[in-house]
Amino acid sequence: MILTPEELTPLVDKALALGASYGEAAFHRVKGFQIILMNGSPITASYTLSEGVRVRVIAGGSLGFSATDSLEKHDIVNVVEKAVRHAKTTASLVSKSVEMSDERLGRARYEASARKDPEERGGEDLFKLAVELYKSIDLSKYKVNIDSFLLGLSYSIEEKSLATSDGGLVESRIPRLEVFYSITASSEGNRANRWQQIGGSGGLELIDELGVIQVVEDDLRSLELYLRNAKTPPKGRMDVVLGPEVVGLAMHESIGHPSEADRVLGREAAQAGLSYRRRIMPGEKIGSDLVTVIDDPTIPSSYGFYLYDDEAVPARPRYLILRGVLNEYLHNRETAAIMGTHSNGSARTEEWWSEPIIRMANTYMAPGDYSLEELIEDVKDGVYIKKYMEWNIDDYRWVARYVGFEAYKIRNGRLEEPVRNPALEVNTREFFSSIDAVGSDLRFYAGTCGKGEPAQGVPVWMGGPSIRLRGVMIK
Amino acid sequence: MTLWELAEASARTLRDRFEEYEVIVGNEKEIMLKLANGEPSVTQSWNRYTITVYVTKNGKIFQTSLSSTSPGEVLEKLDTILATLSPSPLYAPLPEPTGQDYENTDERVIEIVESGDLSRVSEDLELDQARNWAGTIRLAREERVLVNSNKASLHGERTLFNGYMRVFADEDSSGQWSWTSTMYRPDIAKKAVGAAARLAEECSSLPKRKIESGNYRVLLSPMVAGNLLEVVARSASGGAVLFGFSFFKKEDLEAIVASEKLTILDKPRDRELPGYSLFDDEGVATRDKPVIEKGVLKNILHNSKTAKLFGAKTTGNAGLLMPEPFNLDVAPGDLKDDEMLEALGDGLYITNNWYTRFQNYPEGLFSTVARDAVIIVEDGKPVGCTSRVRIADSMRRLLSNIEGVGATLWQIQWWEVSTPTRLPHILVSNARITSE
Repeated sequence: MILTPEELTPLVDKALALGASYGEAAFHRVKGFQIILMNGSPITASYTLSEGVRVRVIAGGSLGFSATDSLEKHDIVNVVEKAVRHAKTTASLVSKSVEMSDERLGRARYEASARKDPEERGGEDLFKLAVELYKSIDLSKYKVNIDSFLLGLSYSIEEKSLATSDGGLVESRIPRLEVFYSITASSEGNRANRWQQIGGSGGLELIDELGVIQVVEDDLRSLELYLRNAKTPPKGRMDVVLGPEVVGLAMHESIGHPSEADRVLGREAAQAGLSYRRRIMPGEKIGSDLVTVIDDPTIPSSYGFYLYDDEAVPARPRYLILRGVLNEYLHNRETAAIMGTHSNGSARTEEWWSEPIIRMANTYMAPGDYSLEELIEDVKDGVYIKKYMEWNIDDYRWVARYVGFEAYKIRNGRLEEPVRNPALEVNTREFFSSIDAVGSDLRFYAGTCGKGEPAQGVPVWMGGPSIRLRGVMIK
Repeated sequence: MTLWELAEASARTLRDRFEEYEVIVGNEKEIMLKLANGEPSVTQSWNRYTITVYVTKNGKIFQTSLSSTSPGEVLEKLDTILATLSPSPLYAPLPEPTGQDYENTDERVIEIVESGDLSRVSEDLELDQARNWAGTIRLAREERVLVNSNKASLHGERTLFNGYMRVFADEDSSGQWSWTSTMYRPDIAKKAVGAAARLAEECSSLPKRKIESGNYRVLLSPMVAGNLLEVVARSASGGAVLFGFSFFKKEDLEAIVASEKLTILDKPRDRELPGYSLFDDEGVATRDKPVIEKGVLKNILHNSKTAKLFGAKTTGNAGLLMPEPFNLDVAPGDLKDDEMLEALGDGLYITNNWYTRFQNYPEGLFSTVARDAVIIVEDGKPVGCTSRVRIADSMRRLLSNIEGVGATLWQIQWWEVSTPTRLPHILVSNARITSE
């Protein structure tokens, strides 16, 4: 049973009748199949179903939220009553009333399609495909011992309905495919692990479209280099070329997260932290003129795809950095009201139990026109970091660390020997300001972004082209 | 429908169709208050039912995990799905159900959760006082029923009260601390908030200084040590070792892996910690056990599946697929609170961290970022406060360099420490630190 927006409307009406000034009710279902192989044999297959109803209200100027996965009528009614009670209970402790920004809300139904839908045959196609996928990878080509090879395939369908008390009525259906693998290998007395996530919205056709086999084989080649050939990296200040995998992550961590307005306003201070954008304002220069960073939920087939957010606001591309200048924040209706602007459709939820909070979708740096060879040929003495494994960033999103997994020394404009674990530690302004050339090879990488309490993981893409940084620190 | 009725109804549809089956039905009622900028940002509550179904036939394994109360349609399809699979290398027969029923609840927690009214908590924690804080307060009642084809018929119920608070003295001076218990304990919550406030004020009163990258003596607060030692305990899971997510190897059992100062226990039977349980997910009786005892790896945590592959016995730590710790308990040492900075001498007191990530799991290379107050200590005295430093080291090296263990224990559970953990401060020498 799926509850439609029209069927949710009475819940919103009830919230208003109980004294709420704003109410929204949502039904949210995620169902899917998953299989995990260890060294080519299925260790388990599973079916998952998560469905329920959530209600969020403003009453007495305070925010209340309640949710249940019981679809019994009395449990759903109880959720409405509890959401209002929660809000009223804390109203006396709130100094400034929560408000929702005025928006042109969606009244729409949309869906993404899966051309090859494994649900039609009870997951059988997915399970067979996983085994075939593993078999098609020729492990004997690589001079390493594979200690363990964990390969997971999952297919999910996310169905959502939403009704708000100010007229939003949105229904959506988005199928997604995700591949996850973790390879542990050893050679020459060294051991290492490489894990990776690949995903998009659609069906089994994405295995070919996203080039899954090629990605896995390229990672096996990287592991071989790391274990057998990589030398001690140089240290100190030098020019660095980063591949799209590293750039995509940096866009997510160093400008995507800090642009979340709830973080800027301190609402996530005890969890995901704060942001340097509390101090460096829109309109201020943060990077070179070559840097434009966009977060766009509307990219077809993307992992972070949606057309309306979980507050019924239409999605659109958000320009976080425009030609080196800090631009807009990511907003939901609550933060937009506080800052006196409009939401740009960034409210997302993981499942029925999730409060809508500000999230990224598909964050990427706009490409330039350099080839990788051109980026490298102008480096006299430096490092090329193509892939990473370890990364982190402080909770103001100011100093990031990216440690190369596949990386090379650059000498006199040429790629030389592979190097092991070069650690780029750099602050955000230095990172964006030191970029003097941007490649044309834009690529996207899938991830599950975590935020909120309870922690919510939502699918995102992170992308970028190869870029060149001048004079940054390798530790 | 009660949990028993839901479990029995699901079991009835499986009984004659599979060689083995297990059904775990849970209900969690939870309420959470989130605070930011010194006032509530949202109050949330959940009434959540979960049904986990596990079936096997000819060594094939299939699992269903539902957050829903209507499993019927799914259970009917299981035979077809299982037919498409091949035998699992992880398969082991469900073990004898030796677990016992348990009830470890606090009526005060249940009353708050059922009423949905947090007024009492607000009053007890004095939330209306003017202070720039952000954090989370969470109360829950968790109930579960386990039935399986080995005639397991088990019931457990527990409550929890936990949270964490980050207190700001100014934009650049903050402290954060957490608490956790199965009981309604405003005393430990207030103590945690007090600890966070003291750190914020201390950092604010000290000059802000940058430090150079290098090797330092570090005093890790229970928040930081809790995060890192949880990684260590989870690395001792047979699943983590098997799948390459661990710096331990099978051969490390009974080997020295840390300083003799370090003893970590997995304590599912500790009534004070919210991971309390008398049966695991295979219906096996849990038991308290050392993971590391005086520096020696004493147990790799197993369910029946990983135990079979390791030629060992289950330690009662199922996870139907991955074994997991329930509650962690680090044995106290002899460093008293007022002696710790003196013992540190010259070094850094790192009070909170996040974002622990591995470059290479098997080799244990990792880094983690400090957040909140990092106090610079010289000659046993605080002389400055710094920020944005990292520990970037190998886990084995860090464990070997443990030089001292505090005497006072704290109960920690938050965003970066998901397993309830009781532990003291930990003093480490020669830690590799990077700084901006």
